[in-house]
This record gives sequence, C-alpha cells and structure tokens, in this order.
Amino acid sequence: MQNLIKLIPLASIMILMLFAFVIPLLKKKKHVYKLTLVIMSLVTVINLIHVVYIALNGGYLFDVGHFPAPFGIVLRIGEVESGIGLLFCFINLMVLWYSYFSLEKEIKSNRIGFFHTLDFLLLASLLGIVFTYDIFNGFVFLEVSTLAACGIIVVKDKKANIKAAIKYLILSSLGSGLVLMGIAFVYSISGHLSMSYIHEALIQNAEGKHNLILISMILFTVGLGIKGAMFPLHIWLPDAHSSAPSPSSAILSALVIKAPIIFLIKVYYLVYGTTILSGTVVLDLVLFLGVLGMIFGSLFARSQKELKRMIAYSSVAQMGYIFFGIGLGNKLGLIMAIYHIIAHAVTKACLFLSAGSFIEQTGYKTIDEFKGIGKEMPVTLGIFTISSLSMIGIPIFPGFISKWNLAMASIESGKILLLFVLIASSLLNAVYYFPIIINGYFGEDNLVGKVFNSKIRPVRTLLPLIILSVVMVLAGLFSGFIIEFIGRGIYI
Amino acid sequence: MEKIIMLLPLGVPIVGTLLIADKKIIKDEYVTKFVSIVLFANFLLVLTSLFGNPLLQLHVLGVNDFLDVYFKIDQMTRVFALMASILWILTAFYAFEYMKHEQRTRQFYTFFTLTLAVILGVAYSGNLFTLYAYYELLTLCTLPLVIHTGTEEALSSGKKYMIYSFAGASLVILGMMILYSITGTMTFMPRGIFNDLSNYDQDLIRFSYIAMFLGFGVKAALVPFHSWLPNAMVAPTPVSALLHAVAVVKSGVFSLIRITYFVFGASVIKAVNVTQYLIPFVVITVVMGSLLALHQDHLKKRLAYSTISQLGYILLGILMLNPNGLVGAILHMINHAVIKITLFFSVGAISHMTHKKYIHQISGLGKKMPITFICFTIASVSLVGIPPTNGFVSKWFLGVGALNADNLFYIFILLLSAFFTAGYLFPISVTAFFVNGKQNAKQQNAKAHEIVVEASLEKEAIETSDHSEQMDHTGASIASETLDPSPFMLVPIVILTVIIVGLGIFPNVVINFLGGVIADAF
Repeated sequence: MQNLIKLIPLASIMILMLFAFVIPLLKKKKHVYKLTLVIMSLVTVINLIHVVYIALNGGYLFDVGHFPAPFGIVLRIGEVESGIGLLFCFINLMVLWYSYFSLEKEIKSNRIGFFHTLDFLLLASLLGIVFTYDIFNGFVFLEVSTLAACGIIVVKDKKANIKAAIKYLILSSLGSGLVLMGIAFVYSISGHLSMSYIHEALIQNAEGKHNLILISMILFTVGLGIKGAMFPLHIWLPDAHSSAPSPSSAILSALVIKAPIIFLIKVYYLVYGTTILSGTVVLDLVLFLGVLGMIFGSLFARSQKELKRMIAYSSVAQMGYIFFGIGLGNKLGLIMAIYHIIAHAVTKACLFLSAGSFIEQTGYKTIDEFKGIGKEMPVTLGIFTISSLSMIGIPIFPGFISKWNLAMASIESGKILLLFVLIASSLLNAVYYFPIIINGYFGEDNLVGKVFNSKIRPVRTLLPLIILSVVMVLAGLFSGFIIEFIGRGIYI
Repeated sequence: MEKIIMLLPLGVPIVGTLLIADKKIIKDEYVTKFVSIVLFANFLLVLTSLFGNPLLQLHVLGVNDFLDVYFKIDQMTRVFALMASILWILTAFYAFEYMKHEQRTRQFYTFFTLTLAVILGVAYSGNLFTLYAYYELLTLCTLPLVIHTGTEEALSSGKKYMIYSFAGASLVILGMMILYSITGTMTFMPRGIFNDLSNYDQDLIRFSYIAMFLGFGVKAALVPFHSWLPNAMVAPTPVSALLHAVAVVKSGVFSLIRITYFVFGASVIKAVNVTQYLIPFVVITVVMGSLLALHQDHLKKRLAYSTISQLGYILLGILMLNPNGLVGAILHMINHAVIKITLFFSVGAISHMTHKKYIHQISGLGKKMPITFICFTIASVSLVGIPPTNGFVSKWFLGVGALNADNLFYIFILLLSAFFTAGYLFPISVTAFFVNGKQNAKQQNAKAHEIVVEASLEKEAIETSDHSEQMDHTGASIASETLDPSPFMLVPIVILTVIIVGLGIFPNVVINFLGGVIADAF
C-alpha cells in the first residue's frame, strides 16, 4: 500500500502525459470533455490521498526506475511538493470544469481537443518541475512547460495571441538558456545533477570558486525569474495573459508562473544551501526586485484600460510578494512565499475566470464598459469582489494572512522599512480593484438600462468559480494549519 | 446557550439583512416593519447579552495566535453598544419617513441593518485583530450608504471616503504589525498589555502608537485626514446623521480609546512621551473644524465641519491621560452623538419638507416649523456648552481634565472653540426665527439692484415690490399651517432633545455608568 502511494507523483505525471495523447484520438467534443474531467478528477483525488499520506508519514525520496541517486532520476516528495502538486491539480480541474461551459465561445471547436492535450502536457510538466530532485530533469520539464504554455496562448488564433506567444517563446527560451548555462556551471564545479549530490560537492569545493557559484546563482535567478515574472523581466506576461482565452489565462497566472518559483526555491536551498546563499547578494537582489514588482506592478495595473490586462499586471505585483518572501531569507519569509503561491493561485484563478465570464456574456473588454455589471451578473461580480478583497488584504482572506506574516518576517529580519512597501502595495491594490466593484454594483448612471440578472449564467456553470472562492476563504481560515504544514517541509 | 446569547446581537442583524435583501421573502410594503422588528429585537438582545449574561468573553475562531476572533464585554463595550443600538432605532424611525421618496430603499435598509451588526462587532471586539476586521468591514458596509443617491458626485465622494478609510486602515495595520512583533499579543486588557516597559524597544512602541492613532484618526476626522467627512454629506440625511453620530466617526474614537487605554495603557503612553507629537494634530483639528464651519452656507456641511471640531475635543480628552479627561472624552462621545444626530435630523426635516439646504434660504422658517427649530436651538445651545444641557457636562469634565493635566492651553482651546461653536450655530437659529422672509427678499433684491443697470431701476423696483407682496401672501398662507414634519420624523427629534436636556440635568446617570470604564483604564 505504501509503495502504491509513493507511486502517485510519478503516476500523476504519467497519466497526464499518456492521456494527453489519447485526447486527439477522440472525435466528439463531448467525449473529450468527459475524459478530461474524469482523468483530472482522478489525478486530483490521488494527489489528495498523497497529501494526507505525507501529512501523516512525512516526505520521502523516490527513485524513478530503481536506479540509485547519482545515476537515476530522483523525485523528492515533501510537504511543500505534495501540497503544491495538489493545488495545481485542483485548480486545473476547476479551470477545465469551467471551460466545459465556455471554451467553445472563445476558441474554434476543432481546437478543443488540442487545448486539452496541451493542458495535460502543461500540467504534467509543471508537476515534474515541482517534484523533481534533479536539476537537469527540471530543465527538461521547464522546456516542455514553455512550449505547452505557448500552445494554450496561441490556441485562440488571433493576431494578438500569436504576437504574445512569440514574445513569450523568445523570452522564455532565453530564460531556459540561462538556466541551462547555470546547470552547466554547477555541473562543472560539482560533476553532479542530482540536487543533494551537487550540494555536498559544492560545500566541499566552494573554496576559491565563489565567483563561479555566484554566476551560476544569478543565471538561475534571472532565468527562472523570466519564467516567474520577476519585475523587470515580466514584460511578456501582460500580453500573454490578457490575450489568451480566459481558462488559459487562469492556468497561466495560477500555475505556469508558480512552478519555476518552486524550482528556484529548490535550487536555492537544496542545491546551494543556506550557508552559501547567505554569503551572497542574490537574496537581497530578489528582495529588491520583489519590492519593485509589488509597487510598479500595481502602478501599471492601475493605468490599464482592459480588465484582463489589469488583472495580469496585478499578477506581477503579487509575484512581487512571493519574491519578497523569498528575498527576506528567513524561514517565515520562505513559508509565506509558498503560502502566497497557494493563496495567489486560487485567488487569481477566481479573478480571471470571473473576468472571463464578464467578457463572454457582454462582449466588452475595457473596465469602463463593465459599469453596472453587478446588476446584470450579481453572483459573478460577487465572486470577483471576494477575490479582490483578498488581494487588497481584508482580514481572514488569504491575502491578509500573507501580508501580515510577511510583515512579521521582515520585522524578524530587522527590515522594518519594508512594512511601508507592504502597506503601500495593498493600498494600491485597493485603488484599482475597488472602482470596478463600486461601478459594478452602484451608481445611478451605471445601472440605467441594465436589467437585473439579465446576463446571469446558470448556477451549474458558476459552480467551479464558487468552489474556488470557497476554497480561497478556507485557505484563509485554515491558514494556521497550512502554514504549519508547509513549515514542516520547508527547506531551511 | 450563554455563547449563543453573546453572539446573537452580532448575528441577528446579519440574518435580518439577508432576509431584507431578498424580494421574495420580504415584500416591499413590509420592509420598514421588518427593519423595526429586527432593530427592537436586537436592542433587547444587546441588553440581555450585556447585562443578563454571565459569559463575558468568547473565542469564536482561533486560527493563529494573532488571527483570533475574540469577543469580550466590559464597561466600554456596554457604553458603545447601548449608544449605538438606541440611536439606531431612533434613526430607523426617522428614516422610514425620510426615505419614502428616495430610490432603492431596499438597498438602503439592507446596508443600514448590516452596519448595525458591524458597529456592535466593533463594540464587542476583545482584541485588536477583531476590532480591525470589523473596522474594515465598517468601511465596506457604509460605502453603499454614502453613495446611495448614485450620482456622479456621490460616487466620487464614495471613492474619496474609501481611499481615506483604507489609507487609515493601512496605517492601523502597520501599527498592529509592529505591536504584535514586539509584544506577541493584541488582546485588550485593563491598563494595557505592557507589564514592564523596560523589556521593550520604546521607539517601536512610540512608532506603533503614532501609526495607529493617525490610522484610527482618519475615521475620527483628524485634520489633515478629515476631508472625506464633509464630502460624505451627499448621503441621505439619516446616513449622514449616523455617520457623524455613531457609525463611523465614533467607531474611530472608540478604537482610539481602546488602543490608548486598553492596549498601550495610560502609564506607558505617558512613559514613552508620545502625546507631544499628536497634540498639535488634535489642536489644529479643534480650531480648524470650527473656523471652516463658520463660513459654510450649506447646512449639512456646516454641521459636518462642526463634527470635525467636536471630535477634536474628544481626542484631546483621550490624550489628556487622566481620569477626568477620559470621562470628559467618553461623555462627549455620547453627548455629541445625541446632539449631532438631533441637529442633522432637524436639518434633514427642513430639507425634506421645504427642499431648502442653505442657510440663506431658511430665514423665517422658524415660525413655520417651530418644533423642529426649537429642538435645533436646544441642541445648538448644548453643543456650545451652556447649562443645563449635556454639552456643558462633558465640557466641564474636559476642562477639569485639562486642569489636572496642568495645561491652561487646553482650556484656552476649549473656550475658543466653544466661542466659535456659538458663532456658527446660533446664526442658523437666529436666521430662522428672527430674520423674516420679507426682509430677506428685499435684501436680495437690493443686491440685485447693484448689478442691474441704473436705467431699468425704476421698473425693477415696481416689479420687485409686486413680487415681494406676492411672496408675503404665500408666506402668510403657509404660516397658518405648520410645516413641521410628520410624527415619524418629529418624535425621534423630540425624544433626542429630551435626552439632551435630561442628560444635562441628571448627568450622574451616565457618569456613574462610566465609573467602570475609568476603573479599567487607570
């Protein structure tokens, strides 16, 4: 039984990869939807079982194909990896469920099978990045995820999408190239690719090679920073996220930019380790860029006219929080970075999907045109409101928990001035989310000519959104439990 | 069971809100009746949970050490919860009449009832986190009330209100973060949570207190964070009255009392010597509020600026850090609530009956709306601080507190501002009672004459004399029938006026009640 459970991470990846290539064989769209939903539910459920197992028994290493570590590929499954794995599967399930009702309105119907193939490939590669204990294996999965992500952007073949996809492809390939160079540097020093072996070799051979180590670290930081939308490297994100169909945007924002960050954290703490890391400026750099991202991401979001672009820029700001947590370099900061990955993934999926429903039902795109939407689609705007409240940091919602604990972490590391950044950033969030809600629900001029509930979607199509928002609230309410769980498996 | 009794006052309005919001459950014609039932029932529940319930504290939801929803009842809770529940009922009856001609009354009553739950939550909070959560919710619930009319002006005022409030809340949370990082607890304790000051970094304490004071000060209309308050005047009168009297500004004041005496403690604040940075803000608030009120022509705006100045008194009382000052502050919190709600109701009655909103329009109205204006005058007298009204009592205690703090400057400020108060409130009554409509019309015409070219002067004079004669006739015909509003509006005003005088003659009822707060605080 235990051995079976330990197969789950590998099995999830394999099942997804396998069925990714079964989907194109199906002729009817209905079958595609049914098969994908069944498979996704199955993967989510086994991942849930896996998380429960990990919670009870702790983490383990898994040799793929029974080769021992220096030669074979090893998966490292701990609390963080299993939790993030479950999160990815769950969000992907919700997004697919949502797309069951709306995807055809956004992309051509002969592309639907294609979309699902790419989505499965993408999720499999993201899970691979999260689970792996081998940096080269991680690189391979990174490349797969880049290509699959390009695919789900360009699946809606408008001009803007192709442009955005090419931009993403170029920048992301650059990122992958940098990561590969980083791996080469590390390999030249240590002669290993498996994280724990590299770590041991680096500790032994560190004398006189500080510059090499620093260069490789910066290569990893910048390379994965591009994929994770670190502030000045985020330029591909708004185009890609806003032009893609809404389910793709949700996946891109909630999952695709998160996996490289988990990988980055693993590289920092499992490959280099705290002692080497604390001797360099890399973390300060990450912190600085995180701060810039928090402020400028919000400022850019504020000046956007299109709703989805605004949400995309808000992602840049939220990624800033995650880098902020990593950059603080203490345990609480790192835990909160991972907690914020969870919080932001759920919240942003909610925001993108509800924004997608507005666009789908009305055909509008800009924020001004959504005045009075609250009368036409009260429930959807309600979900949007709850998610925005989390972004702004109203107590009990996960956004607040992140902010509070990040503040505690920065006080702990003696950087009190950073509190002002946190406060300023949450205030900026309020400035651009509230007008949408207020104009949506209130205002005499806004509501004239709007018919109550006229554009409401049937409840069953809203169910995935409602579940996502409930999970979001629960993630805030049970934050103590989640933080404790992450803390058990954190790498410091 | 005891737990349920304690939570009921916080839950019943929310249930009521949910029912009101649905058209299918409560029909349009039953909304007002239902609201009054909910409010009365809740008043009884508040009484039960405050006085008849042995359980005084309750952890509802402990997620983390800090994320702990915790309710606690002490004397300060009782003061604030009682004040809010009573004034809410009076406002509701006033609103039933006032809102008859407004749009979207259902939305109004929904948020009106919801806000009560939030205000009671503020009162019942047992730690800073719960208080903060309710404080944020308060902004969100009152926003729809502020922008109720839905006009462009209302929306922009609402936006201003929102931004100011959130900026304030951000400052509060900044202070809370620092406080929590140095103490590890945020529960309200009598005399504060600091046992031994030497263990803590005093700079951080100082910084944390200043951040929280300014943050909560936004809702308490501390200058320079006050400008949302006059703008929020676009709301319907019952809302303005509530915003000023209890709902918003007083929750700011209440929170300030909480942090000053129940989190930091008077002795700590004295020891870290932080008031010197805050007193200038407060003094400016007192003086500037009055000065700005002096030259407002819009009735509600004048009252709004007056609120700013009066809130300055309360903050001054809080910062005196002695028992008399605190009694004065809390008394003035209650008295100003009663007085200001009376003034707003009167002004609302005027605009409801005559659609007159400016002071220059109301000349002579005193004879047509005698009861309204008599109440208005009594409330003004009280706000200036003339015995035997309640305003005198609170100002007396503030004065004694200033003397205890050995600061004659405070007394000077108090007297100066009382003088200004008289300066901006009495002219309204004087205009209403003693300037008669005819004279005023002539004055206006006289002004018109200066502008008009001389050639047409003679013609003009004849026309205006005709005109004023006509006005005289209509005025006479109106004067015969009184314009006082219907009992639904009038009775709350009269009751409040009676309370004003009653509390002035028998202040000991309240002062004895406040004894418990003082015992906790010092």
